[in-house]
Amino acid sequence: MKKRVKIHNNVKKFLIVPVVMSLVIGAAAIAVSFSVASDALSIGNMFFSDNQVDYSKSFENIFVPTTNTSDTIDASEVEFPNIDKQFGELKIKGRDVDAKLFFGDGKIPLRNGAGVYAGSFIPGYGKTILVAGHNNTYFNGLKNVKKGDIVKINTSYGNYEYKVTDTKIHNAKSKKSYDLNANKENLILYTCYPFDTIGLTEKRFFVYADKISGPKIVGLYD
Amino acid sequence: MKRIIAFLIVLTVFCFSFTTAFAAGINANEASVLSNMRAPVSMNGNNVYIPASYINQAEANFNTIDMTSAQASKINSIIGQARAFLKGTGKSKISELSSSERQKLMNYASAAASVLKLSAAAGSNTKNVKIISKNGGVVVDDSNNVIKTTGQQQSPVTYIAVSGLAVLFILSAAGLIISGKKASAYEKKS
Repeated sequence: MKKRVKIHNNVKKFLIVPVVMSLVIGAAAIAVSFSVASDALSIGNMFFSDNQVDYSKSFENIFVPTTNTSDTIDASEVEFPNIDKQFGELKIKGRDVDAKLFFGDGKIPLRNGAGVYAGSFIPGYGKTILVAGHNNTYFNGLKNVKKGDIVKINTSYGNYEYKVTDTKIHNAKSKKSYDLNANKENLILYTCYPFDTIGLTEKRFFVYADKISGPKIVGLYD
Repeated sequence: MKRIIAFLIVLTVFCFSFTTAFAAGINANEASVLSNMRAPVSMNGNNVYIPASYINQAEANFNTIDMTSAQASKINSIIGQARAFLKGTGKSKISELSSSERQKLMNYASAAASVLKLSAAAGSNTKNVKIISKNGGVVVDDSNNVIKTTGQQQSPVTYIAVSGLAVLFILSAAGLIISGKKASAYEKKS
């Protein structure tokens, strides 16, 4: 009988306790690092993926920081990005938004940063710039954005600043949330809403901003 | 003489290395195609427009190429044929077109895309269009909504892995409790 107790104690000591302790510590670490389950699942996605393509690496970067402070830049000096290329970076100081900026808003851009909808325009064009980002990664910080905040977009051809004028929640299918025909440079950032929801949502959180500085692209039309 | 030629070549390379010019901007040929795309199509007296998202995507692509006048002329001619076809259907809206009429419209889009060495593909319902470059890059994609899904989508493997860990944790905890109870029962007996 004593032998059985010894075996039981050894199993308890060397197998069950270490396994349980590792799981408890692991779970505690996840809980501390990430307040909600969706974030834990996002991390899980990085390790367990049924996608063969590694979207974190397969993109081209044409962004080279510039100190250009002129008011205009000729179109011939601008390298217009193709879809899935990184051409800049987007930051909102103090709001935890800092993302690589891509042209196009498919899987590669949203896996690696924020993406400009290809049916909208790049900064400096004088029209609408519609930018998407995931709510539990690069655009989670949009929940902290307030009116008057400055959104900075740096590209290889110029550095831009936009002042936040409003934030709104719209249904994803609503066409009232954007105007792709606008003839005034305006920046629209959006992400899924509520911010910490698991899975798909019908609503989107929009941030609207107007251009305050950065070179206008001239000579676009012959 | 050779030295002079070599000097001129070096000078030319040197000058060009200072400014990088891209195939940027919209030339007159591209502008004529965009203008044609923006014009309304009359369907049974009802003016129908190509959505801004398509035209803007075309403009973005035109900013990366230099369309020749011959290419613009061919594309404008195909757009003209597509207009005449839509007018001839007698329908008032694109949504009223039959699947064979949609397919025919798609064929016009493919013909126009092929002028620029691009290929057009449509979804099975021929409602969504995707135009792809020779190297597989997406030029126009209307297969998704303008506003995308920006919530993290979990893969099934992730759900299985996370659920597996949770089950393992519960089983281990249960095992610990049961073995603890057994041990204390045995100690009481002995």
